Amino acid sequence: MAPDIARNTASQRSVEVLASKLRRRQLVGSRTTALETVLVLRQVVSKARFSNLEQLVDIIRNAGRKLVEAQPKEHSVGNTVRKVLHHIREEYHTATRGTSVVPTAPSYSIAKFVSQGQPRKQITAPKAESKGTIKEHDANDPDSFAKGLKPVLMEAIQDVLDELETVYDNISKNARDHIHSDEIILTLGMSKTVEAFLKAAAHHRNYTVIVAETAPSYDGREMAKSLSSAGISTFLVPDSSIYALMSRVNKVIIGAHAILANGGMFAITGSQIAATAARAHSTPVVVCAGQFKLTPLWNLYHEYGALDFGNPSDVLGFEEGDLVDKTDVVNPYYDYVRPELIDAYITNDGDHPPSSIYRLLKETYDDEDTEL
Amino acid sequence: MPVPTIADPGPSVAPGGSKPPAQPSQKSMTKAERRELQEKQRAAKLAQKQQPAGSMAPKNKPPTTPKKAAFGETGGVKHHGLVPKDVHANAVADDKTSGKPISRGLQIFSHFGLPKPIGHTVKGDIHPEIIRLGLLFSEFKICGANARAIATLTTFKKVIHEYTTPAHNTLSRHLMTHLSPQITHLVSARPMSVTMGNAIRQLKLDISAVDIDMVEADAKTHLNHQIDNYIRDRIILAGEVITGLAGKKIKDGDVILTYARSSIVEKVLLHAREMGKRFSVIVVDSPPLLEGKILLKNLTSAGIPCTYALLPAISSLLTEASTVFIGAHSIFSNGAVYSRAGTALVAMMAKGHGVAVVVCCETYKFSEGVMVDGFGKNELAPSRVTRSTGDAKAVSPALNLETLNPLYDLTPPTFITAVVTEVGLIPPSSVSSIPLALGRTL
Repeated sequence: MAPDIARNTASQRSVEVLASKLRRRQLVGSRTTALETVLVLRQVVSKARFSNLEQLVDIIRNAGRKLVEAQPKEHSVGNTVRKVLHHIREEYHTATRGTSVVPTAPSYSIAKFVSQGQPRKQITAPKAESKGTIKEHDANDPDSFAKGLKPVLMEAIQDVLDELETVYDNISKNARDHIHSDEIILTLGMSKTVEAFLKAAAHHRNYTVIVAETAPSYDGREMAKSLSSAGISTFLVPDSSIYALMSRVNKVIIGAHAILANGGMFAITGSQIAATAARAHSTPVVVCAGQFKLTPLWNLYHEYGALDFGNPSDVLGFEEGDLVDKTDVVNPYYDYVRPELIDAYITNDGDHPPSSIYRLLKETYDDEDTEL
Repeated sequence: MPVPTIADPGPSVAPGGSKPPAQPSQKSMTKAERRELQEKQRAAKLAQKQQPAGSMAPKNKPPTTPKKAAFGETGGVKHHGLVPKDVHANAVADDKTSGKPISRGLQIFSHFGLPKPIGHTVKGDIHPEIIRLGLLFSEFKICGANARAIATLTTFKKVIHEYTTPAHNTLSRHLMTHLSPQITHLVSARPMSVTMGNAIRQLKLDISAVDIDMVEADAKTHLNHQIDNYIRDRIILAGEVITGLAGKKIKDGDVILTYARSSIVEKVLLHAREMGKRFSVIVVDSPPLLEGKILLKNLTSAGIPCTYALLPAISSLLTEASTVFIGAHSIFSNGAVYSRAGTALVAMMAKGHGVAVVVCCETYKFSEGVMVDGFGKNELAPSRVTRSTGDAKAVSPALNLETLNPLYDLTPPTFITAVVTEVGLIPPSSVSSIPLALGRTL
């Protein structure tokens, strides 16, 4: 059993390494954390030993739970784990059935709807006796199941990885349909998704971008530099002028940190005021986000988006000496933006209004994975 | 076309731009002749500058002035003296020859007006106190509607004191012509604020009302008194009445939210503290001016518990706030509040959270006319002021990248709950009837 233990601890170690990186905030950013998570899960799955699906799911779940507990505010970690689980289950069903097991498009008829309720994606339990090419629980060869399934699983995980790597390209595909000539776009903060989107549109359209500085992180400055170096006419403005300039802005395009189950989102602080100002002027608000940001989570109890705070000295530094003692300084990092303020989500899987996010969630993840 | 000799702020037109310094040479030409001269000058410069035509540097200075000059319609309206104008005419010429269209953005914001460079030329006989004041304005050392009005009036007291009526002239008529270049100089340093405009208009009324037979010394003392009374009644005493009225709206246990630094809101809060009320304050601030820090200092030294945050964090803070107090640069007849950039966002979010927004504003700040958005009249902060906040990550303008720092914005009346003036608490819709009710024009 020694080699087994060695293999297990190797993958355990990689999980621990990633967990400590997350905890220490050495790894920040939804896409980077998602990528790292997929790589670690790939390693875990390749080294894992299991003789049926439940064991595999448990192994993955354990790893996922450790990672999520290390940094609960990086939602994309949990999302990636759920996605991997979903893909694995799908591939497993395909493999065991031999033919595609995805239920043929259920016939949606009113009668059925009334009698059975809302059609839900069928999650059929793996039937132990269904034989395909995979044999489970083979007493003689406990590894056969795992060995047979592994290439399929690797493919599934590779799919997830590919999707993550092509996020920017897919989102930018239709950029030119969303931005018209001579428009004025408002954006804030530094979102690589939005950056790719705007740069892709710039190949086809001539337009202007106003970037809000987004104090105190001043991410907007980076964004402005990057966009202007790509040849887009850019204006850098302080956040205070968002309302003043909104009457001339045609669209607000912002990025998201996580998309929540009700269609709302967590985004960098400043997004809430920009979206509200846009609503006051009836300007459309468009959010560019990869599907890995879809989170089966609700923000029920607090206004402080994601309960994450930045460094207060960015707001009031110690050079202010005695002021620091006498004041409370608040520096929330994220905002929660209500679904009513958002008009559309542009994801790598198409454009969706906030009202259909719940459906996307149901299709992307499995219900039992909501609690890892 | 007679060039107005007095830099009159005018009743309803935004005095955001500057008025022409009287150029005798140009005044004598007709519009067509002036245009000819400009074309000639531009062609000459163009021929000179053909060599370094490739440089992109001129693009950094938005060619607002030469665009206006090129169109010739505003015939002679300039921001600076003659020298900088030629350089700008250059910039336009370069852009046109290089074939590159001036980026669209510059056209949208061009009417905001170019932020003035420091060493603007001093034309004519300007009193040294006025020069000093102009420098203080352009460096943003004196900042804020009340401060600027009081500084302007105090300086004019000195100017009037040292003024002597030349022979064969009456004080009431000549003093105006004496003051107008001084006013123009101040406006060239920084666009006139509504408070300054109203104060100066009142001063002109007083000057023209001076009895022709009055001895000069008496007349000057009289004007002195008038100015003092204006400052005392409409600014200082009005401030005290507002402090009392607004203070009544603060109860124990309240959390007051305020934005940037309004002199009158500061007085209200300090006064309420003196009255022994126990409340706390949230100071919301915004770069680049970061005026809220000074307010924070003053409030904490008075022992008021404070919270400090930047503008984007405001939605998290409004859940705690019970009232929002803001100051105004001016209020228009429809009740719209023209105030520091960012105020509109604060008021909008407060309305969304159901928190009352109270504007503290003296009646001398009321402005005729109606403004519908922050674009009609605004001012851009010059980059030297914004860069003084000393950020390592500060961005310098580059190709395709411009920084804009509008100083003001307009809060629509729907976001305002009440306006506190020295005549009482009024809803924003009643602002237009106050001057009438008080029996004066403004």
